[in-house]
Amino acid sequence: MEQKGGVLMQKYELGRLLGQGNFAKVYHARNLITGTSVAIKVFDKEKILKVGLVNQIKREVSVMRLIKHRRVVELYEVMASKTKIYFVMELAKGGELFNKVLKGRLEVNAARKYFQQLISAVDYCHSRGVCHRDLKPENILLDENENLMVSDFGLSALVESKRQDGLLHTTCGTPAYVAPEVINRKGYDGVKADIWSCGVILFVLLAGHLPFHDSNLMELYRKILKGKFKFPKWFAPDVRRLLSRILDPNPKTRISIAKIMKCSWFKVGLENPDITATENQELATLDADGIFEACENDGPPIAESKHELTKPCNLNAFAIISFSTGVDLSGMFQKTVSMKEMRFMSKKPASSIIFKLEEICKRLSLKVRKKDGGLLKMEGSKEGRKGTLGVDAEIFEITPHLHMVELRKSNGDTMEYQKLFTQDIRPALQGIVWTWLGEQPQQDQQHHEVVQEEHQPSHTA
Amino acid sequence: MGCCCSTSKRTGTPGYEEPTVLASQTPCEYHDPSLNVTVSEVEALHELYKKLSNSIIEDNLIHREEFQLALFRNKNKKNLFADRIFDLFDLKRNGVIEFGEFVRSLGVFHPNAPLEDKITFAFRLYDLRQTGFIERGELKEMVLALLHESDLELSDDMIESIVDKTFSDADINGDGKIDQDEWKAFVSKHPSLIKNMTLPYLKDITLAFPSFVVRTEIEESDM
Repeated sequence: MEQKGGVLMQKYELGRLLGQGNFAKVYHARNLITGTSVAIKVFDKEKILKVGLVNQIKREVSVMRLIKHRRVVELYEVMASKTKIYFVMELAKGGELFNKVLKGRLEVNAARKYFQQLISAVDYCHSRGVCHRDLKPENILLDENENLMVSDFGLSALVESKRQDGLLHTTCGTPAYVAPEVINRKGYDGVKADIWSCGVILFVLLAGHLPFHDSNLMELYRKILKGKFKFPKWFAPDVRRLLSRILDPNPKTRISIAKIMKCSWFKVGLENPDITATENQELATLDADGIFEACENDGPPIAESKHELTKPCNLNAFAIISFSTGVDLSGMFQKTVSMKEMRFMSKKPASSIIFKLEEICKRLSLKVRKKDGGLLKMEGSKEGRKGTLGVDAEIFEITPHLHMVELRKSNGDTMEYQKLFTQDIRPALQGIVWTWLGEQPQQDQQHHEVVQEEHQPSHTA
Repeated sequence: MGCCCSTSKRTGTPGYEEPTVLASQTPCEYHDPSLNVTVSEVEALHELYKKLSNSIIEDNLIHREEFQLALFRNKNKKNLFADRIFDLFDLKRNGVIEFGEFVRSLGVFHPNAPLEDKITFAFRLYDLRQTGFIERGELKEMVLALLHESDLELSDDMIESIVDKTFSDADINGDGKIDQDEWKAFVSKHPSLIKNMTLPYLKDITLAFPSFVVRTEIEESDM
């Protein structure tokens, strides 16, 4: 079965076989351009076509594109040949988490760390409207530093298709991780079903065995539907309480992720979130992009120290025209206008703009971390989904009486930033904004909705 | 792969070209074969192209109104820069953007495309009357267009001073117009000027518009 040395699309050198499922084989591969190692999942196209799920898979792939979280295996690229479909994915170098459990149950602190990471990944995806629907040992992987990574997020079409094949049930008995309402095959809420599976996974990590287990499949289903399981005697009361709330067969009363995150057992050891490292990386790439070049203040230094700020950069005429919406082709690729950077013009002097920004910071309890050359770095006070929010505001001088201010996220979760921006920052700026750049009139946007079809991932199947 | 004598197997789509041929002809590849657009990327672009080129007139060709609709969500919105981009994409100058033109032109906007190409494309974009120079009048016209687009009204004095300042920095030999070399020098001093010549979306285009249809001969590694 193992094959070496093949080159795919002149881009990936295929290596050894990493795993094999009903639908796909996973190979180790190397990107010949960048040299990085990846995993390539190879699907048989005919099988996929046969179950008629091509459109659903396409939709899911385009939703997955928006999922970027270090605890979720990233999907890099999708390719196809005549008979195969290839998913190029991030490689989890540490293999499956459950290889660890095979050697015996984990210590409480180790189990808790993995559970925290699992919940953080699942919570992030849910916030983007993406559910997993098939959380189980094969999908819980580790990176080279023994941190957890969830794979196959958002690709539930491939899960469903397994069911249609009837293969899932016969192979390894994984309904053990599936929520009761999924077994019932009623319409179900994917969010709640994922929470159930997380509970089963936590149980297995701590116990070294499954909460629901029976050699007879019907009997197993019965146990799951009733939520009948026993705690091993070494389970402490606090974790028992948590697990009973998660493994609640009624999805309506089952605990939410927000509540799990508030529970005292969960919070232990979280004061040092492991998020910071990636966020710093994210920052570094942003900087490398050179959003704006370092300010060249070639004019004579202004002889006043009243402001802590040096003079803002000058904006030349070509920079101004480069902001035209007519040169921004991104509209072709996406439905909603992205809010990566927002720019407004102001007729107020730089000092008033800064004063206003600082006032807003105070009100929203943002810290002003740095001020330099017209650049204000602001930071949130609370830990968010992807670390604390960072907002940069940069002021450019066009003429002494006309400034442009650019606002952008420098750190943290995009959705949290967008909420803060639209609900708080933008309305508060009203007094100093002359006009926002690149804004489309409202009625024009609606017109477009008709043309491009919407696909909202839904929680219910 | 990329055989030179391939005849188009699909006759239904005017302007449709073999993805394998195109994949080896995008601007990126001219400079560095390792940065070429893959066949899958071209297939994904075709998914996008199908959508854009049939949004108003179902003829698999992108008309100016369809281009404006895609950019502004409004088919009637005129914009100087969008018009220029359309004209630059329309290599054959026949009033529509064909698929081959679409792929080749977008190649410049790929994050991996050579900087040189992006600088040149921006120069041609701003050289409104295609004289080989960006003239002072053209720059002023473009500043006015941008201000108009955002409903900004500035006094003529103010606009003159903005244009003057930029010209005094960019027009090194002081002949009243910016040539290619001066433009290159100016961009290297202000790299953010060509930020809009890069579309990050092209990097994960196969995820944004997955296409599992392959009309082309791609070698199969039998697995």
